[in-house]
Amino acid sequence: MDITSIRKKAIDAVASAFDLKDLEIVYKSFLGKNGELNNLLKTLGSLPDDQRKDAGQSLNLLKKEIEDICSQKQRDLVGIESERKLKSEKIDVTLPGVFQKKGTIHPVTQTINSISDFFGSLGFEVASGPEVETDYYNFEALNVPADHPAKDMHDTFYLGNGSLLRTHTSPVQIRTMEQQEPPLRIICPGRVYRKDSDLTHTPMFHQIEGLVLEQGASFAQLKGLLNDFLTDFFGQEMELRFRPSYFPFTEPSAEVDIRWKKGWLEILGCGMVHPNVLKMAGIDTKKYSGFAFGLGAERMAMLKYNIPDLRAFFENDHRFLKQF
Amino acid sequence: MQFSKNWLKEFVDINITTEELCEQLTMAGLEVDGYKSFKSKLTGQDAIINLDITPNRGDCFSILGVAREVAVLNNLKLKQPSVITISSTVDSPTNISVCSEAPRYVGRYIKDVDLSLKTPALVAERLKISDHRLIDPVVDITNYILLELGQPLHAFDHDKLEGDINVRFAKEYEKLTLLDETEITLNTDCLVIADTKRPIAFAGIMGGFDSAVTNKTKSIYLEGAYFKPQVIRGKARRFGLQTDASLRFERGVDFNLQDLAIKRASMLLNDSVGGKFGPLQVVEEQKSLPKQNRVSLNINKTNSLLGSKLSKTKVKSYLNGLGLSPKINEENIDTLIPSWRYDLSIEADLIEEVARLEGYNELPTEPFKPLLNNKEISKSNKISNLLVSQGYSEVITYSFIDETDASLFDTQGNHLNVSNPISQNMGVMRSSLWPGLLNTYIGNLNNGEENQKIFELGSIFKQDKKGGVREIKQVGGLIAGSDVTPQWNQNPKILDFFDLKGDLQAIFKNLRIDASFEETSSPFLHPGKSSQIRSKNKLIGWMGVIHPDVINHKGLKNEVLVFALNLEALKEKSKIQYKNFSRYPISQRDLAFVVENRISNTQILKLIKAKAGQELVEIRTFDVYQGENVPKGKKSVAFNLKWQSRSKTLIDEDVDEVVKKIVNSLSKEIKAELRS
Repeated sequence: MDITSIRKKAIDAVASAFDLKDLEIVYKSFLGKNGELNNLLKTLGSLPDDQRKDAGQSLNLLKKEIEDICSQKQRDLVGIESERKLKSEKIDVTLPGVFQKKGTIHPVTQTINSISDFFGSLGFEVASGPEVETDYYNFEALNVPADHPAKDMHDTFYLGNGSLLRTHTSPVQIRTMEQQEPPLRIICPGRVYRKDSDLTHTPMFHQIEGLVLEQGASFAQLKGLLNDFLTDFFGQEMELRFRPSYFPFTEPSAEVDIRWKKGWLEILGCGMVHPNVLKMAGIDTKKYSGFAFGLGAERMAMLKYNIPDLRAFFENDHRFLKQF
Repeated sequence: MQFSKNWLKEFVDINITTEELCEQLTMAGLEVDGYKSFKSKLTGQDAIINLDITPNRGDCFSILGVAREVAVLNNLKLKQPSVITISSTVDSPTNISVCSEAPRYVGRYIKDVDLSLKTPALVAERLKISDHRLIDPVVDITNYILLELGQPLHAFDHDKLEGDINVRFAKEYEKLTLLDETEITLNTDCLVIADTKRPIAFAGIMGGFDSAVTNKTKSIYLEGAYFKPQVIRGKARRFGLQTDASLRFERGVDFNLQDLAIKRASMLLNDSVGGKFGPLQVVEEQKSLPKQNRVSLNINKTNSLLGSKLSKTKVKSYLNGLGLSPKINEENIDTLIPSWRYDLSIEADLIEEVARLEGYNELPTEPFKPLLNNKEISKSNKISNLLVSQGYSEVITYSFIDETDASLFDTQGNHLNVSNPISQNMGVMRSSLWPGLLNTYIGNLNNGEENQKIFELGSIFKQDKKGGVREIKQVGGLIAGSDVTPQWNQNPKILDFFDLKGDLQAIFKNLRIDASFEETSSPFLHPGKSSQIRSKNKLIGWMGVIHPDVINHKGLKNEVLVFALNLEALKEKSKIQYKNFSRYPISQRDLAFVVENRISNTQILKLIKAKAGQELVEIRTFDVYQGENVPKGKKSVAFNLKWQSRSKTLIDEDVDEVVKKIVNSLSKEIKAELRS
């Protein structure tokens, strides 16, 4: 066989290699140990001296050439094969993702958390206390003596052993004042209980009360604080008004209304802590003054999330909960 | 209190619209609940105004009291009620005696009244507006005066009285039949009006039936008394008798009002039922009458508390308007509290009056400054967030539950009862979070939601031996059904014990709490599928499958799993302390042992760990198998063990040596056979 025909045969074979495996076989058949080029090389010895040198040179050139086209072909085939592989691995990217479904935090808790975060940023600490209370902490220490008509404002649940379910979280303020020295900034979120059940009342609800006890604490600061709070909570500047009211534990006392749709909506109660309350808790009223405020978490959540029915909070229907 | 605007105008000459008036009252602390225009046949254009009066403002439970407030707000003069004296033409056959709790009693005998006559039209119209039922001209007129002046009056049928009238405390077990024909048994702290024989009225609360005015009544005895608030308070509530009289006496009636009230009533009675009038009998115990309080207000204290800059003269003019006779005394303003204002006894009360009249919204507003060290508040949210990330949704259920439900989870029945529950099914304070969670699950199951993961944070209540109450804050949860997120490429997995345990272990790991799960027996959990959870040898919680008896009782079919953990025990423990890690390669072996069924995973692990040497870095149970090739009553448990040295590369011989020790120990201790 002559060089020219081997060359042609090799070029054709390389060109027609379908994949890398084919190419390997082609390569071996020409350049392998028993490949055609090696076989031809073995026959060189039988050639006359003058021809042997030329033939050797030609064979080496051919060997180099075949190596080159093989490696070129190999590069081509690698590209083609990886393209083919990628094509075969195609998936339907429009199928849904696989994920672990998250639960939800109850809207009342979310409301309490968001309010706590606001007050936390102003240096308030969260205080908590028992839900089963004594008459002293729930009423007497808050300037509501026995048989006082103000007690009618709270319909109280009593337990068999003479204790009661707290009707507000104010007892926590008293307990804190007894245990810690002023200055104080605290908020007290928690469950409270009143014997009331209709469209707008549930026998249990959540209250958040705040107390500031500092030198120079004033009604003007209370107004400023609540203004900032309501703006933060509703995420927009709120129009509000302060209206004189009555709570036994504050003097002066106020209700705060916000402009809501066409009218005013009562949203929280507040006032300067009554001197009797401070005295009973052992606070020096010459040095310190204080203000307090309280609001219902459910009511705030209803306004924020546009929930029409208070009772939904305690039905825990999954169709309700999953929206939060 | 609901009333006619024209009536109010008899006492204060206002010239503002009803809307303006209502706005003014609301912003002064007398909240208007609503109003509507009304055309009176007698007085022309009128309006009905409904006021919500706070318990401190007893003085405003009358037209006169509201008029006084309106006069101050509009800088007008109050027109005092007019009186035409009805002179006496007969003697009174009745004498009066009082006591310290009723230090003033004004009475009048009226003879030959004609009750067949009609109540005056204006009285009738105004009583109707104020939601008062018309009864007869005498009672209607006493009610009219009550509304007008705030002084409760009572009329006895004089012919039914036996001798003189005496105001005294009731005797023990003394009985009285009231106007509404109910008979009550009085206590010795109840004040009564009595004749020589018996009580004829429950003082300040309700008259007696036997001495009541009827259409046959010929002569009456009219009573206008002052009872101290303390003696009336609590009594109406005790007997369930809230009346217009008790409402006013409890909050305090002006102790100088009785003469005027009887005189006004006399006028109206004279014009309607006629009769011959006896003298005005005024009986007093002077020393027991309340004294008018003197209260001083410091101008600097006032401005500092309000954050205002009010002048002394302005403050004085406000106090003057309220009838407090203010006198400036250096930085103080001294006042004398009028007999109708029971709510003004200390400086803060006066400061509120000043603030009210200045207008809360006119007072300055100041920014409230944050402290430099603001507080991280959401610590307790961490557990909630962990649970939410595992697919649990938070619920909030009532703290009081049904007794039957409570008994399902507290067989000792030592419940803490609510004495006055709102309904039968809310009569017991929960001693477990599980009944609330289970009922929530059932409610949602009935709405078609089979797969649920829910949790609640809240207190449970237990009665201790001394009768006290222990409140324990817990987090409780419930899972049921299959994995809450079925995926298109996986089959849904039915949630079981190990899913719940895994959720809890993830939480413990996150909080860096070492917790162990031990077998337990509990009457409300499945005896074979429940566990108590301990940390540092303290019981911190429970988990497991709800007992099939409870499931049956609730009419359920499938397994439901619950857990409860004491929050106190979940307070984050150690801080993160970094340790250098070894860079030498890990050697591992898989070992499977055949053991008796009763041998627990923990037991085997303990034995393995004891022999596995210091260099064991991880051990994991990766398979538990029963069936073919494993003898009956036995199981095969497979472990993956990893060793790593901190100082060298471990060679096979090192590890083989340890494995041999483990196999020998397990064989000796629990007859475990190594599976090859």
